Amino acid sequence: MAAELNLEDLRDEIDKIDEVIVRLLDSRARCAYSVGRLKHELGRPIYEPAREAAVLAHVRQVNAALGGPLDSDAVARLYERIMDEARRIQRLEAERDAREKGKE
Amino acid sequence: MVVVMKERASDTDVEAVIASLVEMGMDVHRSTGASRIVLGVVGGGKVDPRLIELMAGVHEVLRITQPYKLAGRTFKPDDTIITLGDVRIGGDEVIVIAGPCSAESEEQVHATAAAVKRAGAKILRGGAFKPRSSPYSFQGMGEAGLQLLQAGANAHDLKLVTEVMDASQIEVIGKYADIYQVGARNMQNFTLLRELGRTRKPILLKRGIAATMEEWLLSAEYILAGGNTDVILCERGIRTFETFTRNTLDLSAIPIIKELSHLPIFVDPSHGMGRRDKVAPMARAAVAAGADGLIIEVHNDPDHAMSDGAQSMFPSQFDRLMAELRIIAPAIGRSICLEPVARRGWAR
Repeated sequence: MAAELNLEDLRDEIDKIDEVIVRLLDSRARCAYSVGRLKHELGRPIYEPAREAAVLAHVRQVNAALGGPLDSDAVARLYERIMDEARRIQRLEAERDAREKGKE
Repeated sequence: MVVVMKERASDTDVEAVIASLVEMGMDVHRSTGASRIVLGVVGGGKVDPRLIELMAGVHEVLRITQPYKLAGRTFKPDDTIITLGDVRIGGDEVIVIAGPCSAESEEQVHATAAAVKRAGAKILRGGAFKPRSSPYSFQGMGEAGLQLLQAGANAHDLKLVTEVMDASQIEVIGKYADIYQVGARNMQNFTLLRELGRTRKPILLKRGIAATMEEWLLSAEYILAGGNTDVILCERGIRTFETFTRNTLDLSAIPIIKELSHLPIFVDPSHGMGRRDKVAPMARAAVAAGADGLIIEVHNDPDHAMSDGAQSMFPSQFDRLMAELRIIAPAIGRSICLEPVARRGWAR
């Protein structure tokens, strides 16, 4: 019975953490969107491998310092997914821009 | 599309592949495994997989979607059923097309049409324009042959299928035939296929002697893209190293086409084998494997046929085959010739 109550509590906690994660992902995506606009104005490509490598190195380093159950490779895999989505945001924006330019 | 990188692909290789895919307007999902990297590629851009395969560090590129669209099951999950009067092609009933290789004379066409009707065939076959390997072989009777075939089919309440070799013949054949046949040699005659796409009669599209299933379905796609949705695929044997038979009848095409496409699939065991004594076993196997129909050469006097006599069945052999097929078809939930005229004839 006690273990069951404990499970409920832990799941509540996970739900609360998820809310924070999604809000943070939202802030990150807004930031990536602005980066995309700037890249477009500066004529730089959407895919910048050196920058992605730097992001991965950075999050690995942050994670290593925490010493939790998630190893650095796992964090890197999660971040590959996050960056895939950031690239997609930038691509959709670039396509919309190109379409509107076409109309003018 | 999935791009599998080589085990020893460098970061620069991976980056170059991602960069070119992104440039082509694709979304790339990078998955880093223990020993190799796999890129999942989705999106509306157009990518030639071969170009990616040529890039440094790429192990292989796997295409997920098929190049044909209208002919595929994804586009149309339900089987296509073609209705010609009271004949339903692609339904539960296995439809048998039978008749001579070529129209030769009024007597030959009538005698053969009567025989195949009696045995339970629904459609008469017969050539008036013949694609022969040698220019010195009998080339067919032309429009006179079409007239004989139509008269034979009408007299015995059969539909008529005949081969169209060239776009210039579409109009004249359309006056007489219910179904246009495209022969194996013309399977990739794209101008002919395009013209047939504009017609509104069913097309029996034979598989080319060296065509893959994908090439065959792409040929069907040419016809479908023109707005003609009634395409019947027909396996007739492919070239292999075996010389005992004229061709190797590829019965594996039946379940494969059934999975890939919604179009009906027929089998031609006569051309597939090239010898009449081997036609019946392959016809039985084709029905057992799930073919929607058969096209079989029958001649009232095969020994004196002007073309393909060796592979034409005697009417008595065809009768016996039909009786056997009537036993096989129900085993897989199909029927064959619901009202055997032959049986009615005997009862009288």
